Amino acid sequence: MNGYGGKILRVNLTDGTVSKDPTPADVARDFIGGRGFGIYFLLKEVPKGADPLGPENKLIISSGPISGMLIPGGGKCDWTTKAPLTGGYASASMGGHFTAEMRYAGLDSIILEGISPKPVYLFIDDDKIELRDASDLWGKSTFAVEKQFKEKLGEEFQVAVIGVGGENMVPYACINHDYGRQAGRGGVGAVMGSKKVKAIVLHGTKSIPVADKDAYRKAGMALYKACKDAEGLKEWTRYGTTIVVSWCDEVGALPTRNFSAGSFENGKNLYGPVMREKIVITDKGCFGCPCPCGKYSRNKKYDNYVEGPEYETIGLMGSNLGIDDIEAVAHANLLCDELGIDTISAGNAIGWAMECYEKGIFTKKDTDGLDLKFGNIEATFTLIEKIARREGFGALLAEGVKRASKKVGKGSEKFAIQVKGMEQSGYATHNATAMLLAYMTCDVGAHHNRSWAITYDLQVGREKVVPEKVARVIWLQNFRPMFDVLGGCRLQWVELGIDRDLYVPALEAITGVHRSWEDLDKVGERIWNLTRLYWARENEGFGRAWDMPSPRFYEEAPTSGATKGQITKFEDVNRLLDMYYEQRGWTSDGLPKPETIASLGLSAVVA
Amino acid sequence: MPATLRLGASLRILIGGQDEFTVEPGRSVRDTLVSLGIKPELVAMVSVKDEMQTKDYVIQEGDTVRLLAVVGGG
Repeated sequence: MNGYGGKILRVNLTDGTVSKDPTPADVARDFIGGRGFGIYFLLKEVPKGADPLGPENKLIISSGPISGMLIPGGGKCDWTTKAPLTGGYASASMGGHFTAEMRYAGLDSIILEGISPKPVYLFIDDDKIELRDASDLWGKSTFAVEKQFKEKLGEEFQVAVIGVGGENMVPYACINHDYGRQAGRGGVGAVMGSKKVKAIVLHGTKSIPVADKDAYRKAGMALYKACKDAEGLKEWTRYGTTIVVSWCDEVGALPTRNFSAGSFENGKNLYGPVMREKIVITDKGCFGCPCPCGKYSRNKKYDNYVEGPEYETIGLMGSNLGIDDIEAVAHANLLCDELGIDTISAGNAIGWAMECYEKGIFTKKDTDGLDLKFGNIEATFTLIEKIARREGFGALLAEGVKRASKKVGKGSEKFAIQVKGMEQSGYATHNATAMLLAYMTCDVGAHHNRSWAITYDLQVGREKVVPEKVARVIWLQNFRPMFDVLGGCRLQWVELGIDRDLYVPALEAITGVHRSWEDLDKVGERIWNLTRLYWARENEGFGRAWDMPSPRFYEEAPTSGATKGQITKFEDVNRLLDMYYEQRGWTSDGLPKPETIASLGLSAVVA
Repeated sequence: MPATLRLGASLRILIGGQDEFTVEPGRSVRDTLVSLGIKPELVAMVSVKDEMQTKDYVIQEGDTVRLLAVVGGG
């Protein structure tokens, strides 16, 4: 099958066996790859009501047809599972070089099933596939394990590894790769830990069959040329995602002190040029990337090296905690990476705890003696460790803000910044109605990468609640995650403004199947509806209430910064959902109507 | 000697129109944008000689000021 390795690898951890199935041609036709494969296998193979950390859940790792190809950004793979953080759908995207080696080993998906009786790692070298003992690796940091494998096996082997957070099944544990890339959100690392899999180590040498080699070369070159010629390439390469810190601060989108504001009085200390000057030593990209947005830093203050921090970590571990020291943020980043927990959720959990402390809900008796005022850098470092190890007060924060605030009560639920149980990523949405809707309806919880619409809010009027905004959010939700289906990075389109039509001939040359973006958007819409149906299947009573944002965005206007005094009215929150459901073809409670399912050709999939 | 304001593709997607303006030096980027009818908040990055500047940067004679927007986010 052109464009595919042709095999799905199944790893039964319970009995220690591995097997390969042919990649189903009809699934490749209808869902293409990446997160399309992920939701298909999740719906079909993980039984209703499965415990996310139990043997019935599966961890599904999928590449896509542009993964490992000479297409800009072809370095992404998708990690799908039932999320321990939310009880719903999780799909985390990971960059780096893992997906390329996976493809060269002939694998379109790797599916981890069951639970191993002892710690193991999965070793793949083309057709040599083994589960090996990892008892001596258990408890080690992600970086130490990756370094150990690289030194033993060679640089060509790629490593995906969990840290102590994953071993302890922290619901927002992540999976690390390439010393600083992550499958970050939803707790995919906890699922890997529950299966007692410390790492996946792989290398391949096979070719990927291509339908038309000449057309592939031509289309690939056109994409690289477009990147090379793009206005802004120099700046994105120099600053990466930190380019937006100053802009978010200016427009009131920078999460500040647990999202109580969107501008930080000391934000300037965290801006991209400051970071570049103080700590960045080089740029670091994923497989085949012409615009390496990763920044590799030497942190002299803490005497270490780290990839990043990225914008999200600067927002959540910096301004959101009242910390204005970029070196401290970089160190917090390193701790999270070594321990294998998601910086976004961890930053939210610590921010929530700091607000509880400043409001008197917690005292030092509750916090293991930590003085949890905003801005306390040392307490932040200590809490990261405690969360990953589930020690003392850290055990509460390790639950995530939804569960933790439910346990604590005393009004703390109102400033637990989450949707569907997932902590909100780095954009404050006090008066940005399209972006607020994007968070409310995102298919994994409050994450930004499916639909990012703040600029559209600014363009058309941030407080406006109009059908055009809803349509924009839906279009982005259908379109942007298609990069996670194709196995590529969206940032060439996002950052450099590459014409997305340039991907069409590349995809056709690789797979031999012509798909316009109209076709691809339709695949995206089908996948979006399937993820919604998965949430409904797994959660009794699932509906509108699950889409509600934190009250912080409709009850409390910031008292400072660019959005001072600004808020989204509660009635507008519901109006947004009314319009969204109608445009999606869903019921007034947010469930896909039977006729919508039928019109998308999904009846057989969900039967 | 006038200066040049160049709009990146991402910004042109938002506001349409021409991709380059000849402007007088001596005013801030922010004021210059307002005078051209461009909402300053739509501009995410100001670059002069490959260095990132704020919108308070005062445009100098002969400068080429490059402006980028963020259309898609992270």
